[in-house]
Amino acid sequence: MVNDTASRGAIRRRAAGGFALGEIIISTAIFSAVSAGLILGFVSLRRNYTATTDFAINHADQMRISDYLALDLRRAVKLEPLKNDASIYIPCYYDSTAARSPQTPLLDGKGGVYYGTATCAVKVRYYLQGASILRKYGDDAPSELARDVEDFEFNATDLGKVVKTSIKFKPTFKSSGASEEVKTATAFHNTTLLRNSRRDMQSGVY
Amino acid sequence: MRRLNSDESGSVLIWTVLVITILSLAAAELLHVVSSKYTNALQTAQWQESLLAAESGVDLAIRELRKSLFPPPNKAWEGWSSGQSTEGSIERYGISVIPNAGLAGTEMTINVTVDAPLQLRDASNSWQYYRIRALGTMPITGPPRANDNKQDTRLRKLSLKTDRFTGADLGNSGARVTRRVEAIVRPVSAFDQAVMSLSSLDLNDANIVIDSYDSRDPNKSTNGQYDAAERQKNGHIATNGNLINAGNAYVYGDVSTNSGTATGITNVSGVQRTDFYQEPVPVAAPTWPAINSTPMLVAGNANLAAASTEGSASSRYVLSSITIAGTEVLNLTGNADGSTTYIEVYVTGDISATGNSQIIVHPGVKATIYFAGGVKVSGNGLVNKNNQPGNLLMYGVQPPAGSTTKTVELGGSGHLTAAVYAPDHHVHMNNAGTRGTANGSFVGKTFTMTGTTDLHYDEALGSGGRISNYKIVSWFEDTR
Repeated sequence: MVNDTASRGAIRRRAAGGFALGEIIISTAIFSAVSAGLILGFVSLRRNYTATTDFAINHADQMRISDYLALDLRRAVKLEPLKNDASIYIPCYYDSTAARSPQTPLLDGKGGVYYGTATCAVKVRYYLQGASILRKYGDDAPSELARDVEDFEFNATDLGKVVKTSIKFKPTFKSSGASEEVKTATAFHNTTLLRNSRRDMQSGVY
Repeated sequence: MRRLNSDESGSVLIWTVLVITILSLAAAELLHVVSSKYTNALQTAQWQESLLAAESGVDLAIRELRKSLFPPPNKAWEGWSSGQSTEGSIERYGISVIPNAGLAGTEMTINVTVDAPLQLRDASNSWQYYRIRALGTMPITGPPRANDNKQDTRLRKLSLKTDRFTGADLGNSGARVTRRVEAIVRPVSAFDQAVMSLSSLDLNDANIVIDSYDSRDPNKSTNGQYDAAERQKNGHIATNGNLINAGNAYVYGDVSTNSGTATGITNVSGVQRTDFYQEPVPVAAPTWPAINSTPMLVAGNANLAAASTEGSASSRYVLSSITIAGTEVLNLTGNADGSTTYIEVYVTGDISATGNSQIIVHPGVKATIYFAGGVKVSGNGLVNKNNQPGNLLMYGVQPPAGSTTKTVELGGSGHLTAAVYAPDHHVHMNNAGTRGTANGSFVGKTFTMTGTTDLHYDEALGSGGRISNYKIVSWFEDTR
């Protein structure tokens, strides 16, 4: 009885040992297949994540540049719309103190008003440096608004009251896995109605 | 029965935990990025909405200013509070809360302050410009979290914990975004256009010339008079209606309709616009506290004396009618030396100067004539010896509701120098004779021209006469 039991145990151990080799082979194969799938999945996820992040950053850049441009264009009194180096002039609403307090408006005798002096204007310059759009407000240090920009230009229409801006961003999807279709540059357009009459040309707004 | 080795079961557990951890980290990172971008997009939308709120505040203030131009009771500034500004002028405050105006049904809050600084009073015509400061506020419905991009934070200034204008603590649920706009509005004259009609505007003849000059500017006039060599291109014609027949007239200015069409515009040098509308402000019958009671009507030769003081009782006349014919003359006389004098005449009935009769405005006299009835004046029947249309202003009084529309019929032959504002009258310039000229501005319920009369708009009229509107001349968003 005991010998018989010991004999069956020995047979089972031998059988188990045989299965272990088979299991190792099979499990290694399965593990490799699963690992390969996981790696491919992770790489794909990573690529997708990077592209999505790039897209989100790009979209945020576009919204930011659009909002900055619209902010300055709405209050503009003069434009110098050169390609890749455009300047917007806004009224000298703030005084020259560090606190930048608002000034009292004065009549210009021609039906308009001004802040500070009749010809005073603050220059806000947008220009391309490398692949970045920079904004320089007056004498302040320039700040980077957006990256991966190819070029931009202003186009004033409707007697100078409406300004259309076109900004071309570099391709959002740079991955080698992306199709050529999605790797093209993105053109971003902004249309703004100027609230003030322009000083550099005869125009009314309302 | 086979029992699993404890090492094997531990390995599976570790692998499971490891995979779950990796997936969880990836999901958390993704959620963080998506949440951050979502918050950014939401705050951007609310930041945009707050500008709409601020600009709505400017519009609300202009609406109240416009209402104040109408005859009483005009209900202007109802619901607004008033006080005194630090600069001493009267200030008006208005707060409007519009429920469900924003994203997710949030309410829009608009705070408006209107004041009239002394620096914004035009000494040349006593016109007061107004300063409008509007704050537009929208609540931030997402988490009160600053953006992860410094430039975004610098651009879109949010009040997350404290109000960025007042410094007040906003608590845990009071995050908001507020934008501030300052606009300066100036009065607009009733004579802002060469010709304006509330409905049809018909010029009929191809030989008409409509242009402008500026009697104040030696570069745009000669000795204060129209000179074709100094011609300007502000002879705008416009209608609140949708049809202008420019009659192939030579219009040196814009042609504007209210979403309509303009025909016969071959010789229009300006722009054809379709976005014109100007709400007509009716003219109320004058209610003077004291008047010169004689005469009570004019029916033949007569003299009405002007006075050196504007608005004096001696130079204010209320007449039931003016009827002159043949060679009869009504003189509006001033000082012998031609110094500036003023006269106001309110005609409750009709004005008729037919044949060779004349109404003469003498040198130095600034005449303002209100008429409730019709007007019929032959060519050369209105003689303005100052040759300045600003010296003869004619206003058509709003008739009682339901009454028949009266007509202002002006003879277009000879020379006419006047400005007519009659939004409740048909205005007809009729010339059956030789080519005539009219210097001034003409506003009517309808405007029709028959025959050939050149119209020269004096741009100086745009800075005088009745105020019919307010328009923005300066706009600035305060981004501190």
